[in-house]
Amino acid sequence: MKTAKYLFITALAVCLTACNYDIQPDKLYLDDKDVQELTADGKIYDLDEFLDKFMTEKGNYWSDTVNYRTRANDESKNPGIWLFSIDTLPSTGEGIYIRGRVSTDDYGGNFYKALVIQQIVGGKQQNLRLSVDMSSASGMYPRGQEILIRCNGLAIGRYANQPQLCVPSYNNNTNAHNAEQKVGWTPGRIPAPLCRTHFHLIGTPDESKLQYDTVKISDFVDDYADIKAARKIDGKLVVIKDIWFSGQYYDNQNGLLMCNFYQKDINNQDSIGNPEDDSNAAVFGPTTGNVGYPQSRCITDGTKWTLVSTSEYAKYAHYYLPFEYVNDKPKYGTFKGSVRGILGYYMDNAGYSPDRAKWSITICDIDDLDLYADGTGEVPAGTKWGLYKRPDGVTVDLRKEWQKDILEDSITLTDKEKAELDKNKKNK
Amino acid sequence: MKKTLFLLLALLGASVSIVAQQTEQISSSTRLVGKIVNEEGLPISHFVTVTLGNQNISTTANERGEFSLSYLEPMDEELIIEAEGYISNIVLVQLLKGQTNDAGTITLYQDLAREAQEEVLLNLAEADLNDDEGKSQSVSSASSASQDVFNTTTSFAWSTGRYRNRGYENTYETNYINGLAFNTAERGTFSFSSMGGLNDASRNKEVVNNIEASNFTFGGIGNATNYMMDASRYAQGWKVGIAGTNRQYKGRLNATYASGPLNNGWSFIAQIAWRYSPYINAKGIIGEGIAYNSGGYFFSAQKDWDNGHRLSLITFGAPTERGQSGAVTQEVYDLTGSINYNPYWGYCNGKMRNSRIVRSYDPTIIASYEWQIDSQQKLRAGLGYHYAWYSNSALTFYNAPDPRPDYYRNLPSFLYDGQLDANGQLIAKDNTSMQNPLGEIGPDGSLVEQTYNGNVVGHTMDMATYKTLTDLWKARDNKTTQIDWDGLYAANYASNKADPNGSASYMQERRHNDLEEAIINVNYTNSKFDHLKITAGLDAKYARGIHYKSIDDLLGGNQWIDVDPFAERDIKDLATNIGMTQSGIENVKQNDIFHHNQAKKQGDRFGYNYYMDMVQANVWAQNEWTFNEFDVYYALKFAYSSMQRSTTMVNGRAWYLATLNPDMAEMYLGKSASDILNGIEHSKYMGLAHVFIDPAFKVGFTYKINGRNRIKLNALAQTEAPRVRDAYISSRVHDRVIDPIYTHDHAKSLTDYYAASQKIVGGDLTYDFNFPIIRGRITAYYTQFFNGSELNGYYDDQARTFVNQTLTGINRVHRGIEAAAAVKLGTYFTLTGAVNAGDYRYTSNAQSITSAENGMAVATKMLDGSPIYELKDSVYMNGLHVANGPQLTASLKLSFFHSKMWFADITCTYYDRNYLDIAPSRRMKHMFTGKYEDGSPVNGSYRMVSSGVDQNYNNAVLLDEAGEMVLDKFGNPQLAYPYNLLVAQESLASSNVWNRFIFDASVGKLIYLPNRQQLSINLSVTNFTNNTKFKTGGYQQARIPRGNLQQKTEQEGNSVVMPNAWKFPSKYYYAWGANFYLSVTYKF
Repeated sequence: MKTAKYLFITALAVCLTACNYDIQPDKLYLDDKDVQELTADGKIYDLDEFLDKFMTEKGNYWSDTVNYRTRANDESKNPGIWLFSIDTLPSTGEGIYIRGRVSTDDYGGNFYKALVIQQIVGGKQQNLRLSVDMSSASGMYPRGQEILIRCNGLAIGRYANQPQLCVPSYNNNTNAHNAEQKVGWTPGRIPAPLCRTHFHLIGTPDESKLQYDTVKISDFVDDYADIKAARKIDGKLVVIKDIWFSGQYYDNQNGLLMCNFYQKDINNQDSIGNPEDDSNAAVFGPTTGNVGYPQSRCITDGTKWTLVSTSEYAKYAHYYLPFEYVNDKPKYGTFKGSVRGILGYYMDNAGYSPDRAKWSITICDIDDLDLYADGTGEVPAGTKWGLYKRPDGVTVDLRKEWQKDILEDSITLTDKEKAELDKNKKNK
Repeated sequence: MKKTLFLLLALLGASVSIVAQQTEQISSSTRLVGKIVNEEGLPISHFVTVTLGNQNISTTANERGEFSLSYLEPMDEELIIEAEGYISNIVLVQLLKGQTNDAGTITLYQDLAREAQEEVLLNLAEADLNDDEGKSQSVSSASSASQDVFNTTTSFAWSTGRYRNRGYENTYETNYINGLAFNTAERGTFSFSSMGGLNDASRNKEVVNNIEASNFTFGGIGNATNYMMDASRYAQGWKVGIAGTNRQYKGRLNATYASGPLNNGWSFIAQIAWRYSPYINAKGIIGEGIAYNSGGYFFSAQKDWDNGHRLSLITFGAPTERGQSGAVTQEVYDLTGSINYNPYWGYCNGKMRNSRIVRSYDPTIIASYEWQIDSQQKLRAGLGYHYAWYSNSALTFYNAPDPRPDYYRNLPSFLYDGQLDANGQLIAKDNTSMQNPLGEIGPDGSLVEQTYNGNVVGHTMDMATYKTLTDLWKARDNKTTQIDWDGLYAANYASNKADPNGSASYMQERRHNDLEEAIINVNYTNSKFDHLKITAGLDAKYARGIHYKSIDDLLGGNQWIDVDPFAERDIKDLATNIGMTQSGIENVKQNDIFHHNQAKKQGDRFGYNYYMDMVQANVWAQNEWTFNEFDVYYALKFAYSSMQRSTTMVNGRAWYLATLNPDMAEMYLGKSASDILNGIEHSKYMGLAHVFIDPAFKVGFTYKINGRNRIKLNALAQTEAPRVRDAYISSRVHDRVIDPIYTHDHAKSLTDYYAASQKIVGGDLTYDFNFPIIRGRITAYYTQFFNGSELNGYYDDQARTFVNQTLTGINRVHRGIEAAAAVKLGTYFTLTGAVNAGDYRYTSNAQSITSAENGMAVATKMLDGSPIYELKDSVYMNGLHVANGPQLTASLKLSFFHSKMWFADITCTYYDRNYLDIAPSRRMKHMFTGKYEDGSPVNGSYRMVSSGVDQNYNNAVLLDEAGEMVLDKFGNPQLAYPYNLLVAQESLASSNVWNRFIFDASVGKLIYLPNRQQLSINLSVTNFTNNTKFKTGGYQQARIPRGNLQQKTEQEGNSVVMPNAWKFPSKYYYAWGANFYLSVTYKF
C-alpha cells in the first residue's frame, strides 16, 4: 500500500511537471566577474581604440586595390578619403571585445535595424553604430542596456563615412542614387543568430547612465571639412537647446526650401502637402516613393541650422512640423526648446565636397523634442507643443497624426469653394 | 424545389403503404442456427456478421452470440463470420432441406495485431494536430475500418502516408457514439484526442462504407463510423496493459474492468489510461522537444430490462497536455540533418521548454436508450453533452524581434536575397561590369565559384558570414536553432525597467477554442414488412464555440497592453481617411474600443472573446428493399443549420471598417452596430444569424450475380451549408461573412438561396467477390463538388500587414478506382493486396476577396488612387491537384496466423501522386495579367511575376509569337523559370522510387495461462527500413516575395523589378522514421 502511495505521488508529480511551465531563468545578465571570465582569451577595447586598431581607410576586404570604386574615393575632391570600407576581424585567435551601452531606441520607428552603443572613457563619449538584421532590435537590446560584444568573425566598416560593426555585404543596387559610389562590398547587417551568439547583456538596462552632451549647432556644423574627424563624432548622443523648426527641408541643389503645407484645390482635391505623395510635405517624414532614404527637416537656433532626420516609416513620420496657424498661414518658430538625439555625419558620394548638410540629428521618437510656446500668439505661454486652438475655439492636438481635415475649419475658403465643399460633402 | 421535395416524400410514403398491405408469411423452411464464441468460449456479443457466401444472406448474432438464418436454399454453403476486433472465419456447412441445421459453436480469434494498430492510429490522429499553421493532416477515418477488405487493409498500413479515403477532407468522415453525431458543428471534424488512450472505449464500432445504406445515419460521401460503448459489449474480467513506444509518448499504462452482463440486468465497464513522455533531451529523434502527459477514463453502465428496454450511461474523457512540433522548409531539414527538427522548443534556464503546448479535455456524457419493440422493430434514442476545452499556446511579441528560430531571415539562404538575378544566378558584376575579385582565379583566368555545404556562395556573398551561419545551424547551436527563452525573459525585464506600465516585449499567449455541444437523436428501425427495412432518424445539436485568448505566461513582463501591434504600426495610413478623428484613430488599434489600452495580467482574456452559436438538425428516412436477385435502397435527408456570432469585445478594426462603410455597418458589427457607432456599450453584441436548409438524397442498387459475386451501384446528391470556419472572413475581428451568404440571406430565388452552399454529386460502382480462396472488391468512384469555399490568412508583403483571403466557387472532382483482394495461401498465410488510383483535382478557378485584418487598404485603384479595402479577383485553380494525401497508393501484405495464437505480418506500401497544397495568394489573376477580374488595371509596382513601368508582365509570363500568354490545358498562364517556382504545384513523391516505399511489420503472441488468464504481447514496427525521405504533405507559403529594387533590370525598354523566387519556400511534413509500439496485456 505504501509503495502504491509513493508511486501515485511520484506519478502525480511527474504529471504536473511534464511540460516545464514554470521554469524561469536564474541568471540572464553578466556581472563584472562574468565579463572578466568571458574575455579572458583576449582584450576589451575602448571603442575609439577599437576603430583605430582595426578600421583602416581602404579596408582589408578586397584583394583588388585599384579598380574597386565602391569605397567611394575621389582623390581630386577628397584626397585620402574612402567613404566605404570593410575590415574583417579574425574569427580565431585572441578575443576581440568591445562593450558599450545602447543609446538608441527603435520603438518610434526612426531607427531600423541599427543600434548605437556608447562608452564613457575619461568622462567623454565614444560611440559606435551596430548594423543588425533585427526588426525592433530595441526589444532585445533596449536603450540603456550595456552589452559586451565578441567581435571575432565580424567586421568593422564604414557606410557613407559612418563607422559600424557589421558583416560584409554586396550591394548590387545599380539603380540607386549615386550608384557608382555604392555598388559593391559594403557594411551589411549582422544576421540575428550572430547577434545572439556574439552579443552578451551586462547588467540590466539603465538609461540614466547614458551621457548626453549639450552642444550648440555651431559646435559641429561648421566642422564638416574634416571627414575623418567626423567619424569619431558620428553616433554621439547630444542635446541641443533653444532651437525651433524652420519649416524647411534641404535640397541638394537648392539648399533650404520651405516645406509644402497641405492645400486643396478648387475641387476639394489634394494638391500639395499630402505626405502620402508629396515628399516635401510639412511633416517630419513624408513619402520617398518607397526608396526609403531619411527625410531632413531644418532646425535652427537663429544663427546656425542643421537637420533633423526622419524615416518615412517612423510612427510620427506624418506628424505636422511644429507650427502655429496665423492669418491662414503656418507660422514656424512659435515652439522652441530642445532636441536630443544621435548626431550623424552621412556622406555617400566622394564626388561631392563635404558641406554642413552632412550633419544631422536623428531622434528616436517624438518625445525627444521638448518644445514650448514662446508666449506669443493664441497659445498660452509655456504650453507644450501640440495643443493648438483653432479660430473656431476648438483645441486640437497637432502632435498627432497628420489629417486632411484637421485644419479644415480654419482654412478660409472663397464662397465658391465653400459651395463646392458642401456639395462634395452631400455627395459623400 | 417544392416539387422535388414532394416527389421524394411521396416515394418514401408510397413504399410504406405498399408493404403495409402485405401480410406476413411464415412457413417452415430450411434454417441454420449457431453460436459464435471467442477463444475462451465466451459468446461474442457485438456486431458479429454471419453471411452465407453462396446465397448472399446475412444476419447478426444476438447478445448471447447466437444467430439464426431462415428461408435458405438447401446446399453446401460457406458460412462467413466477421466481427470487429476478430479474425474473420469461414466455415463449411451442409444445409439440409426443411431442417434446422446447427452450425454448432464457432470460435473467432482476437485480432491482436489490429488491436495494437488501433492504438497507434489514435496516436497518429492526435499527432496530426501538431501544426496549427499548416493544414491539418488528420488520418480521419483511419481508425474506423470495417470488415471490408479494402478498408481493413488500408486503414493502418496507409496511415503512414496520410492516405485519405478518396481524397476527401476529414469533415466527410463522420463519427458517431451510440448513434449521436460527434463531428463538431464548428469545424466538422471528430476529435480523436477526446478518447486518447482509451482503446477499449473505441473498440466496438460499426462502419458504413461511403455511400452505402446505414442504419444509424443518413451518411454521406465518406465513411460513417458508430462507436458503441454499451457496457454489455465488453467481455467480463480485468485487463491491464503496459506499452512502450518511441513515438510522441513513450509509455502507456491502462487498466480495464468489465463486469459483463450481470444477473440483475446491469453491465459495467471502467477503463483508465495514462500516457506519458517527459521532454526527451536529444535532438533529431522522433518527438524532439515534445513532452506528453495524458490521462483517460471511460465508464459505462448499462441496464437491460426483460421487456426489451435498455439504458446506457456513458462518460469518458482524456485530459491531455502535450507539446507540438512544426513543419519547416527543406533548407532547415537539410541544415539540421533531421526530419525530426522542431522549431517550437528551446532551453529555459538549461531545461527544455516547448512554446506550443496543447491542453485538451473533452469530458463527454451520453445517455443512450434502446427499445427492442419486437423482433422487427427497434427504437434508439440518445442524449449527449460534451464540453471540449482545447487551447494551445504560442509566443507573441510586441516591438521586439521575431523569436522564431526558423524565421526566414535567420537562415543562411536569406543571404542570397537581393543577390540573385532574374535567372536565379548570383549577381557577380558591379555596375561597371567589374567582376568581384573575391572569387578564386581558375587556370583559364576566369573566376571560379566558391561553394559551401553544397551551395554556390559565389562572388556576392561573404563566405565567412555564410559559413558561420551555416555552421551554427549544422551544429544545432541552441541560441540559433531553438527558442532563446532566456533572451525573451531578459527583454521583458528590460521593458519593465524602461516603462513599468508598458507592455511586455514577449509573452506566451493561449488561444482557446472551446466547444460546448448538446446532442439528441432518435432512430427507428422497422423490418416488419417483407423485403423492406425502414429506418428513420432525427438528430439535433446545439453547439457553442467559445473563442478567446488569454495570457498564459508573461515571461517576466509586468503586463500586456491589449492593442493590435499591426494596427498601431499602420495607423498613419489609416489616418489619411477623411473624417477619422483623433479618438477614432486611437480606437482602431484597440482590441476593445470600449476599454482602451487595458493592462492584462496572467490568466486574463485579451485580443478577442467571441462565441459562435450553432444549431444543426437532420431528419432522414431510408428504405432498404431486399430480394433474391437484387437489393435497392434510397434515402432522403433535410438538414437545418444556423450560425450566429456574438462577442463581448468590439474590435477597433471592425469599428473602423463599419465607420468607413456605414452601409455595411451591420455586416461588421452585427445587430448592435448603430449603438456601437454611437458609443453605447453593451455586455454582449449579437451578430447576424444565418440559416440554411439543405436537402440530400442517396440511392443504391445491388445486383447479386450469384452468392459469390455482386455488383453495387450507389449515388448521392446533396447541398451543404458552409461551415463556420469557412463562412466568417475574420471571426476574431468582425461579424462579416463571405458574400454568397448575404446573397443567400436575401434570396428571392432558389439559385440565390443556395449561393453559399456546396453541392455534392457522387457515386460509386463496386464489384464484390467472395470465394473460399480469394475475396475482395473493385470500386470505381466519382464525386464532384461545386461551389466550395475556403478561407486563408497570411502576411502580405505589399500591404505590409496580415490579410484574410476568402475563396468561393471552388469546383473539384474526386475520381478513381480502389481495389483489394485477400488470398489465402495455405493454412497459415494470407496475402492481401490493395490499391487506390485516384485523381482529385480542381475543375474551376475560384473567386477571391482579400482584405486586411487591421482594416487598412490592400491596394489602390489605378484610376484615382483611391483605396481598395476588399480586393476582388479570381484565382487560377483549374487543373490543380487537391492536396489531400497520395492519389496513388498500393500495398501488399503477407499475414501469418497460427492457431497457437501467433500472429505476424509484413506490409509493403507504395505511395505516389501526392501533391503540395498550393497557396491561392500566389495564383491571383492580376499577378499574371496586370488586371483584376473586373478588368480594372493593377496600380503600383508590385506582384510577384514582375512589375514596374508600364505594368510589363512579359518578362516572366511566357508569350507565344503573337505576344499572347501561353496557357496550359486548364487555361493557366505559364511562367518562365524561376518564377514558375512561385506558383508551381510540386509533387511530393520522391524522385528516387525506392523512397516511395514504406515497410511495416508486426508480430504478436497470445499466451493462455491457468484460470482463464491471458497474456498477449504485440510488437509493431512501422517504416522499419527507416525511410526518412518520405514527404507526407506540405504547403506553399502564402506569403509572396516582393520585388527587390536591387534586382531591378532594364528589359525591353522597361524597368522591371523581379522578386527572389526562392524567398518563401514551401514547408513540408515527413513521415516518421522507424518507429515501434510494444504492448503487453494481461487479462484475468
